[in-house]
Amino acid sequence: MQEVLQTYHLLIGYKGQPLIPEVNVSLGEGDIVALAGPNGSGKTTLFKTLSASLKPISGEVTLFGKKLQDYSPTERSSLFSLVLTEKPDDLFLKVFDIVSSGRYPHLGLLARLSEQDEQIIYESLETVGISHLVNRSFVSLSDGEQQKVMIAKALVQDTPLIFMDEPAAFLDYPSKIELVNIMHKLSREKHKTILFSSHDLDLLLRHADRMWVMAPQQPLRQGTPKELVEQGIIDEYFKPIVAKEEFYWMTSEHPDLKTCFSGDWSGIDANSLRSNEYYGRSIESW
Amino acid sequence: MASDIDHTIRRKTPPIALVSIAILAVGIVLFILNLRYGSVSIPWNEFWDALLHGDTSTYRAIILDYRLPQAITALLAGIGLSVSGLLMQTLFRNPLADPSLLGISSGASLGVAFVVLLGTATGLSVSTLSLWSTFGVTIAAFLGAFAVLLLILALSSRLRSMVSLVLVGIMIAYIAGSVTDILKFFSQKEGLHSFVIWGMGSFSNVSKAQLPFFAIAVLVGSIGSFLLFKTLNLLLLGERYAENLGVNIKRSSMLIILVSGFLTALITAFCGPIAFLGLAVPHIARFLFRSSDHKLLIPATAFLGMDLALFCNLIARLPSFEGNLPINSVTALIGAPIVLWVIFHRQRYTKTM
Repeated sequence: MQEVLQTYHLLIGYKGQPLIPEVNVSLGEGDIVALAGPNGSGKTTLFKTLSASLKPISGEVTLFGKKLQDYSPTERSSLFSLVLTEKPDDLFLKVFDIVSSGRYPHLGLLARLSEQDEQIIYESLETVGISHLVNRSFVSLSDGEQQKVMIAKALVQDTPLIFMDEPAAFLDYPSKIELVNIMHKLSREKHKTILFSSHDLDLLLRHADRMWVMAPQQPLRQGTPKELVEQGIIDEYFKPIVAKEEFYWMTSEHPDLKTCFSGDWSGIDANSLRSNEYYGRSIESW
Repeated sequence: MASDIDHTIRRKTPPIALVSIAILAVGIVLFILNLRYGSVSIPWNEFWDALLHGDTSTYRAIILDYRLPQAITALLAGIGLSVSGLLMQTLFRNPLADPSLLGISSGASLGVAFVVLLGTATGLSVSTLSLWSTFGVTIAAFLGAFAVLLLILALSSRLRSMVSLVLVGIMIAYIAGSVTDILKFFSQKEGLHSFVIWGMGSFSNVSKAQLPFFAIAVLVGSIGSFLLFKTLNLLLLGERYAENLGVNIKRSSMLIILVSGFLTALITAFCGPIAFLGLAVPHIARFLFRSSDHKLLIPATAFLGMDLALFCNLIARLPSFEGNLPINSVTALIGAPIVLWVIFHRQRYTKTM
């Protein structure tokens, strides 16, 4: 099977100063990989390098076997899409405007939407469950709804690969579960490859198929959450931070969470977790 | 709080065709009023006679040789400055951005100051405004504006953030302003006088012979910016999203700055520095159409800019004022409250400006 994305001896960083040792990783079709690490470990830098916003210090990134920089910006726009933490703030941008802009790379000079384009837009809104918001102004939405709009935009762009930078930041727990459900749906039904970053250990350990773990000046390690925990890598990479930051943690005794830890998280109703007594317990009690 | 936002923002979008026709109709009425009113009062029946039947009366000469070029200049300046302001606001994602913020207008002023003020100081034979009002001032303003523009262009490729570019623009404006003040200090009375007059702004400086050139240049710039509407719409999402959707950020930014700067330099050269039109009009367009789609906003801004400039020109030339009020004071008087309103209105939706 052909790899969607692959890196060879990739050194990332600014001004010739590498942040971490060489990165050699790959993403296959339908993979959901979580990029984990405390703040400042270089997640965003790696993201920017993989999405061609930043040049690597050395080494290569390839997409479908071809070097990233050999694609034109237009070609890249049909290979991968982004969901970022920065949000549009224009008062009159409507949900439809933002989602349909994902279609722009496919449109001509006058940006007229064909019937097929509109159908793709409405399907994507349906997939992430925000069809009812289509005429709303973007700034009037909640953080979770805004996040979904940006995901719908990425879907409309119709790319095999989606990068999501901290998609779970600012979301409450039920919205995080919903987000994870959407990601798995995209991977399963539409065979999208998703790389998302987070510093939220809880979300990562429970919902990622595979993880890339980063820490300042440490080599990037990969594996399933279970492997990484058992090898003590999570402890090693996250420990110095956990003591300082207030991480919230759900206990593993909760029946719903046991199922999702075992990999079957699809039947979980986000709302049932909303008033859960386990929600919000801090890491120390874990 | 959330429901309050919903209530105002979700207001139904107005019928686009109806609003557009209204804007055009207002423009036509204002244009006729611009021809009709002035220091010489022309009765309505004589006005139509002079305009429609080609006699050789004085009225006809006043209307065709004086008022018509002025009204056309006003509407072109309104179009150019407003479109230019819209481009800057979108490029910098800053509702208060406009070309004067980037120091381009100040650069034009400095250029004019050099020629007018130093010209008199070195004893060149300059005694009246008339000599400078035509060619010298125009070229000087152009050179000044473009010098700043090139500086900004050079810096924009080195500055990563748009915010720092705006700050650089403000600093450049300060420097240009200070140099202008120093030049004023050393200059002679006549030069100072003509400089101050130019600085007040006027739509009557474009001669009939210059008008076709001015018109073509403004229209080329405005149509050029319409061709950028896709890029502008994508820039609204933020630089990284735009980049991901195929926009070459560096090249597009340069192009937008160039088009916007060209329009400002041109209009400032001919009409003097005119404040607030470029800042206020795009906001009126957004609120009238409740849209941020540049395919609609660029033409809307152009025609609203035309209306507002004609309105300001009309006020400046009302019969009781005996001649022309400085156009800059009129645009500021009308534009500044609009900008204030925008600031207060925005604050209801966003925590930061």
